[in-house]
Amino acid sequence: MKNLTLLFTLSFALVFTQSFEADAYTKTGAKTTRKVIRTQPTSGIRDSSLKQQLSNALALAQSGQYQPAAQSLFNLVRRKEFESERPQIKYILGKMLVAMNYSQVAAYQFVDVIRSDNNRYLKKAIEELSIVADGLGDDTLLNYAVSKVDVNDFPEKNKDMIYFRIGEIKLKNKKFEDAAQAFNRVNVGSSYNNQALYLKALSYLEMNKPDPAISVFQQLLDHRKNNGITDTNRVSALIGIARALYQKQDWDSSIEAYSNVPRDHFYWHDALFEQSWAMFRGARFRSALSNFQSLHSAYYEDFYIPESLLLRAIVYLYVCKYDEMEKVLSLYNSIYEPVRLKISSFLNSNTEPGSYYVEFEKALGLKKKDEGVLYKLPYMVLKNLREEGDVKRSLNYLKKIQEEKNRIETSGSFRVSGLGQYSVRVLNTRIKNTKILIGEMVKVHLQNMSDELKDLSEQASFINYERLSSKKDSAKKKIAGKDLPQMIDSNIDREFYVQNGFEFYPFKGEFWLDEIGNYHYLGTQSCE
Amino acid sequence: MRKIFCYLAALLLFSTTAYPKEMIQLPTEELARESVSPVFDINDSVRNRNIVTKEKFEGAIFYGWALTEPIANVSKLGVSGYYHRNEDDAYGLIFMKNFSGVSHYAKQLNDQYKLDFTRAPMPEASLFFDYNLKAFYGKMSISKNTVTNYHFFGSLAGGMIKYSNKTYPAIAAGLGQKFYYDKKFSFRFDFRVFLNQAPIPFLKCEPGKHEGIKNSATDSCNEPAPSYSDFSERLTITSVIDIGVSYLF
Repeated sequence: MKNLTLLFTLSFALVFTQSFEADAYTKTGAKTTRKVIRTQPTSGIRDSSLKQQLSNALALAQSGQYQPAAQSLFNLVRRKEFESERPQIKYILGKMLVAMNYSQVAAYQFVDVIRSDNNRYLKKAIEELSIVADGLGDDTLLNYAVSKVDVNDFPEKNKDMIYFRIGEIKLKNKKFEDAAQAFNRVNVGSSYNNQALYLKALSYLEMNKPDPAISVFQQLLDHRKNNGITDTNRVSALIGIARALYQKQDWDSSIEAYSNVPRDHFYWHDALFEQSWAMFRGARFRSALSNFQSLHSAYYEDFYIPESLLLRAIVYLYVCKYDEMEKVLSLYNSIYEPVRLKISSFLNSNTEPGSYYVEFEKALGLKKKDEGVLYKLPYMVLKNLREEGDVKRSLNYLKKIQEEKNRIETSGSFRVSGLGQYSVRVLNTRIKNTKILIGEMVKVHLQNMSDELKDLSEQASFINYERLSSKKDSAKKKIAGKDLPQMIDSNIDREFYVQNGFEFYPFKGEFWLDEIGNYHYLGTQSCE
Repeated sequence: MRKIFCYLAALLLFSTTAYPKEMIQLPTEELARESVSPVFDINDSVRNRNIVTKEKFEGAIFYGWALTEPIANVSKLGVSGYYHRNEDDAYGLIFMKNFSGVSHYAKQLNDQYKLDFTRAPMPEASLFFDYNLKAFYGKMSISKNTVTNYHFFGSLAGGMIKYSNKTYPAIAAGLGQKFYYDKKFSFRFDFRVFLNQAPIPFLKCEPGKHEGIKNSATDSCNEPAPSYSDFSERLTITSVIDIGVSYLF
């Protein structure tokens, strides 16, 4: 607030003096110097009432009455007479809109200032735009601001944000070394530090450098040691370490690291599935099958995890459980073949991003499939799309601008003013474009899912072929009189169930929440 | 995932060595380390229930034993029928037929003190509308070889109890538990407390007071029997345990 007042004081003086005098004298302490203000000629301003209006608007702004001031400035900024002062006025208008918590509308004022290429306000506008876009999570404006920014001109207090955003952009553009360097410049005490550490480690993993990645994840873990067990940054670091160890092909350590992910965090589901891969790669087939018992429980019926079924089938193939394999493959076909067909059909019949958003919107806010809603896409697909990072981020942004619009809609007199109407128009356009953008993201993800399912279906067929082939070999051996393989649960000691004081019950088909993650497959292999 | 092809190729090499035949021991790192549950959008306790009662009818036959009944026969047989609206509650009708005669205790009194209670009005049958609120659905295992599901529920009933002479309104509240043998059959246990007006089976011997009784000090009060209207009434509380079998249709 103090800065804003100071800004208005200065701006008031600047605009006022620029409007009437090309030259002015200012006093700096006891010394009087002549200051030449380099501005455009103010030949356009001749009307004294306009001057009065401008000075009144600035006075209102100075006294903290942002709404009437912003309205007046908005009316004046379009006047031809103020053409040369437009960047200044827009900049002040933007600052006032920020103070009024209308960040998106404010961002447009700063963009206009940047486009005007006014030397005096360009850097300030870029700085303000960066901060506003960062708060909104508006990638488009953020990229625009970051592309124009000179980090050296940025105030120290906001440098962490700009380094972080630069890192993000570099990472997105697959310039991993540059990204790691940018993230490295984010200070430890910054609010961006946790994310920067995570993404820095991710950059190392992308460069196939798991060891430094592990050490950065460990650093993040150390930073968050005083936070709760389920602190998302802490859990992200844990799962990051597990992934890095997986990348190192250190299967046992990776399995152990995945086990550290707390069960009551939403990342645990991913950890469970990824741990199954690590178990499979580490030839711990029984352990992997234990995990699948949880992953393929009724609790995951709305989760899109087609790969897990095929992985389970392969594990069964390794332990010669052909009947179980058949069940799993038929389960895959019964669940994911209709999904694949529905996605393909939807992709073929819809081209406009808007229609993708409309369908996607149906599942927004729902926690489970609503039988009353007619979905064109399977609910599990919509749910999965909702969890995609880019979609999530855009949805957050959409929510913010919708809230901003709602605030304006309910602001009474401001809504009916010229600025209010302009703001609503701007926000409506932004909302519409964001929905289109989300629709496009959804379309891309759907296309990826369709491709993935097509690929997985082919692999399912191949696995089935392997099953039949292996089963045939097994039958031949049986006819030849060789020993029959052990059957599931044929050789289980009673002590096994009660070891370590745990209670073990046989699984009878129903799934209990407190049992998820605690299932243990007790079958033995059936291979000779 | 394309890796799958590689793993399939590796299968031939490792299929007999990667999974050696040996006694399974659970690695300690795979055992539960924490007592928290995973987080889902909907954290319901159980899914894919073995016992599904929603929108199903249930029939039961049972034996009832009145714990606090001193005079009348403590036994009765009953049938009940319920409709389960959902997994949380059910409502239905209970019909109970009391065994005739008196209790073992009343017989003892007759043998020792010549107190004949057979002439007092006795409960004959009852009909109740019963509401069950299913508080818990769970499972238990004793032998570790099998799992038994159970329901624990509260019961609130209202109806009529017919005595030899009169029918009285009654209410009952209680708790019950069903242990499922399979997905249809269960053993059902109910404990209910009944509250109703009922005739007091005790009648003081006052010679000459009752119709037909001889007006002499040596006369016995035993003959002839007092009429039912001679018995006064009071609010009576009776505890009953029902044990029966139940079938879900």
